[in-house]
Amino acid sequence: MILFLRICRNTLINSSKSQASPARNEGTDIPRFIHDIRAPGEQKMTNNNKKIEIKNISLTYKGSGTVFQALKDVSLTINDGEFVSIIGSSGCGKSTLLSILEGLRTPSAGEVLIDGKKIEGTGRDRGVVFQQYALFPWMTAEKNISFGIKQVKPELSKKERLELSNQFLSKVGLAGARDKYPRDLSGGMQQRVAIARALAMDTDILLMDEPFGAVDAKTRVILQELLLHLWEGDGNSRKKTVVFVTHDIDEAILLSDRIIMMRANPGRVYQEIPVNLERPRSRSELVKSREYAAVRNEIMSLFFGDIKDQIDQEAVI
Amino acid sequence: MTIKERFLRYAHLLFIIFVLTELFLPDGTRRAPLINYAIGFASVIEIMLLTVSALSGCRKKIVMFTDLGIVIFTVLLVWELMTTKFNLVKPILFPPLGVLVHQFIEDIPEIANNIVSSLGIIIQGYVLGLIGIPVGLFLATDKRISSISGHIAGFLGAIPPIVYIPYGIALLPTFRSVSVLVIFLATFWPVLMGTISGVNHVDKRLLDSAKVLNLSRTSTIFHVVLPASLTQIFVGANLGLCISFILLTSAEMIGARAGLGFYVKNYSDLGDYTRTIVGIIIIGVVVVASTWAVSLIQKRLLRWQS
Ligand SMILES: Nc1ncnc2c1ncn2[C@@H]1O[C@H](COP(=O)(O)OP(=O)(O)O)[C@@H](O)[C@H]1O
Ligand SMILES: [Mg+2]
Repeated sequence: MILFLRICRNTLINSSKSQASPARNEGTDIPRFIHDIRAPGEQKMTNNNKKIEIKNISLTYKGSGTVFQALKDVSLTINDGEFVSIIGSSGCGKSTLLSILEGLRTPSAGEVLIDGKKIEGTGRDRGVVFQQYALFPWMTAEKNISFGIKQVKPELSKKERLELSNQFLSKVGLAGARDKYPRDLSGGMQQRVAIARALAMDTDILLMDEPFGAVDAKTRVILQELLLHLWEGDGNSRKKTVVFVTHDIDEAILLSDRIIMMRANPGRVYQEIPVNLERPRSRSELVKSREYAAVRNEIMSLFFGDIKDQIDQEAVI
Repeated sequence: MTIKERFLRYAHLLFIIFVLTELFLPDGTRRAPLINYAIGFASVIEIMLLTVSALSGCRKKIVMFTDLGIVIFTVLLVWELMTTKFNLVKPILFPPLGVLVHQFIEDIPEIANNIVSSLGIIIQGYVLGLIGIPVGLFLATDKRISSISGHIAGFLGAIPPIVYIPYGIALLPTFRSVSVLVIFLATFWPVLMGTISGVNHVDKRLLDSAKVLNLSRTSTIFHVVLPASLTQIFVGANLGLCISFILLTSAEMIGARAGLGFYVKNYSDLGDYTRTIVGIIIIGVVVVASTWAVSLIQKRLLRWQS
């Protein structure tokens, strides 16, 4: 355990020294619960499991007479099958970064590669779950999902699509809601349908921007467990690559393989924190473990350091 | 619901009072008041109320209908007392209820013809006017075109279409085609403006959803933009229907040889105020029925809304 903590600290110290080299594996000394996460530098050589490469992107919002740099020189590599969370105080550019990955915005500089190819706009390889308004209010739960499926698999018959929709509705525990319109579903249920649609569309990549941000605390916990369970699967199936924006630290630790912490003014990647906790995870086991406490403390201090800096900055101004 | 709740209502009491008044209060005029027709008419309404009371499962609906019954029976009672019973108003201008009902029954074929003529024009002009929906969808997809066409529609739509009638008569072969043109204009502009404003106010998040789902342009328009603007489109469509009836009846009074407006104008010119009143009431019924039909379509298409 002591060894682990030391590695953890080294890792953090390393990554705080240089953003480009976060988690460094210490060869044979890795305890069992540490996953095989390689630093980006090492991956460049293997090259085959890089899914998303964000290369030096910047984005400037130009309003009438105002110019605002929301992202500055952000670089990040996300591996195939990796669950990455992006955290940071509000306004640090999380949504902006995700909207670039979604293809809704084009960066002012830099580029994003998916499977080595530069992205131009939205793509069928990415499924998206928004915080709100993910569903079309004029379609029933079932229709929303089957409509999503139709876009990625037009070859399926209507019957097959509906079958698939209902299968995924059951997976998120909403078999009874198939004929309901979104207005008859609670916020949490709507997000479940949105997740079911994203999963049913079976895209390699899932992009989620605070998907649980608008639901109450209890529902939030339930949805996190659900997502965790669905993503981890039975352990054999191929995992999707997930980029998950949140400002909830516990949520990030519970779900992620790696946490990217961003900072504002200008928006940039500040820290990368690997979360080397054993999977499959469960919240109840996790909160009792010392590893969890260690990671959480580390992130907390970084997070509040960030906030403190911000306050200091404002005091100077 | 208990039987008491269903049937113990003031409307039925009023119906009984009405019938008793008709039967036992002596007639104050020397005109034949045709009380059988009056009682028959009141009975038809009473039967409808009883049917609703017996069959409807919704308490609110029963209350609403019987309340309506109270208003109707009160009006009928007051009308009869003022006209035939106490002879308080000019008989030629205010005929007794029985006379009105009798006249209506006698004129059913003529009235039906006029309804067909009026509704034919309305439907033709209105359906043509709904072209405003695809035109609006098309115009609103481009920001600049949408903004300028909004202004143009605002200007052209502000002109009361009735002023086109004289010009239309010079331009078009028949009075009917002029009426259709006027109804078309009365529908087209509000529908177009409703559509453009609807499209411009589609929630950006819905459009983002459409984009990340990789919807094609056509698919986005039909499956996202159109349903999202439907509320506004219906605002325009309902306004158009309202204006259409006002314009059509006015137009029919000016120059037509058929239609409900013509029926009213023609018989009032001849001094037949019984038929004038019958015509006015029929117009009311037709307009209410038409707006109700459109509202049914609206409810059906917007059933996903709260
Ligand atoms: N469309 C826009 N125009 C101008 N500024 C924007 C726009 N969208 C976001 N911003 C600004 O960019 C910064 C980052 O926003 P965002 O990416 O939404 O942050 P986050 O999701 O981390 O809270 C914020 O300061 C925000 O005010
Ligand atoms: Mg955000």
